[in-house]
Amino acid sequence: MITTDQVSVAAAEYLAEKWHTPVTVVDVEKIFGGASRETYKLVLEAGGETKGVILRRDPPSSLIDTERYLEYGAYDRIYPTDIPVPEPLFLENSSDFLEQPFSIMAAIENPMNDITLLSEAQKGKVGKQKYVILGHLAAKDPLALRFDEIMTVPDAARAAAEQLAYWQGVINDDEIHPQPIAQAAIRWLAANLPPPAQKISIVHGDYRTGNFLFNDQAEITAILDWEMCHLGDPLEDLAWSLEPLWSGAETALAGRLIPHDQAIDIWCEASGLSCDEQALKWWRIFVSVKAVAIWISSSENFEQGEGKDSILAMAGWVMTDRQNRILLDYLAPALVSEITPKITPEIAPEITPEITPEIAS
Amino acid sequence: MIPHTDDALRMLSQRLMTQLLPDLKTLYSLSDGALIGLLINAIADEVAEGVQRRLDDIAEMRLIFEAGAALLSSGDKEVLSAGLPSYRLSDVNDQHDALTRILVALHEKAEDKKMAVLDQSIWAYLRRHAERHRITAVP
Repeated sequence: MITTDQVSVAAAEYLAEKWHTPVTVVDVEKIFGGASRETYKLVLEAGGETKGVILRRDPPSSLIDTERYLEYGAYDRIYPTDIPVPEPLFLENSSDFLEQPFSIMAAIENPMNDITLLSEAQKGKVGKQKYVILGHLAAKDPLALRFDEIMTVPDAARAAAEQLAYWQGVINDDEIHPQPIAQAAIRWLAANLPPPAQKISIVHGDYRTGNFLFNDQAEITAILDWEMCHLGDPLEDLAWSLEPLWSGAETALAGRLIPHDQAIDIWCEASGLSCDEQALKWWRIFVSVKAVAIWISSSENFEQGEGKDSILAMAGWVMTDRQNRILLDYLAPALVSEITPKITPEIAPEITPEITPEIAS
Repeated sequence: MIPHTDDALRMLSQRLMTQLLPDLKTLYSLSDGALIGLLINAIADEVAEGVQRRLDDIAEMRLIFEAGAALLSSGDKEVLSAGLPSYRLSDVNDQHDALTRILVALHEKAEDKKMAVLDQSIWAYLRRHAERHRITAVP
């Protein structure tokens, strides 16, 4: 366990060495909810200037098992483009300063990320920008941005199967209890793979309301949390952004901002790509399975790891519960719970005749 | 002595959230404490209902296994023949997990062999299971 005072002292020492000038920390605050990294906001005085930085430190346990160099590398490559991200400053891979590796980025001025503070018109404005930015990200050439230096480039025909295999592996490795709903979903996905990706794109991996900042003019100023960034089918990000979990009670709105159809139309126009209905359905079910994997992984971290962060317990228990019900909405035969009564000894004989000697053998 | 553990947990959660949290100095601690308070309420519900919810699941799964008995392996049948050692949550959990693993395998067989009634019965059970375990203490 490291204190904010320790972070403050170590960050000042580290940045003074990097910037070759004395650095004083004026203020330090740990930010709640950074489940993959411990996140601190620091206000510094250095070289006669006051500046803000964000320090992201590897925790003992993380909700997402990611490589910090991959996340930092994504920021580094995206920063020069039209996709707004914080300026990456330093990546420290040693544990000499803060007992764990960390990265430092420039802080965004006057950041807001609580969309409940927005008017309906402002929500519409932010929602449109959100999908224009995502479309522009999908349209980019990952090789031109040197993403192939930090991550593998999948074959367009194998992108979906590879993602499914990866997250299936996470569920199988980390599940504390068997997951019958997720396993049924995985079987469905394996049996109904989508067509090859239209192109291999940079996939943010966690593109949702809550992972971007905006200013008081309702203009998006930064896309955050690139720790699950990879190369793959651009429909994956679109599907993740439409995931019902991010909509709460406002199920008709993508990320509680704009209607789903509008979001998809904006994305298609901005990316120049199409959105096949069946392929998007596959990716929507896939992202729910991916989410279950993340929630299960956080449970495993909470139970087995050093970190006992409440957000891990919350994700592992509450989010798995909600995600399972979302998967049921996707996959359970229509109105099955209403039309199929609980099996009783009287009803069981209806099933038994299905099992012919051939089937039983 | 705490005579009603679930109520005691809810009262402690309330005390945490209404009397202790306001004195915390940082937004991080306040947010962390509030989430812990909500989770204690969810744990209180689990203390009160957790064993019965699992027993209801186990009873329903056993009926599904009876109906699909011809598809079960001898290993499955051996697991199913074992009784519940006690009503400790850990023992009930272990049996629930063991039966759920059999259910996952049976569901896959029902899909492969296109046994629609069994398949739908399992989905219907999964819906009831999900509703039974729905967490309402955390908004």
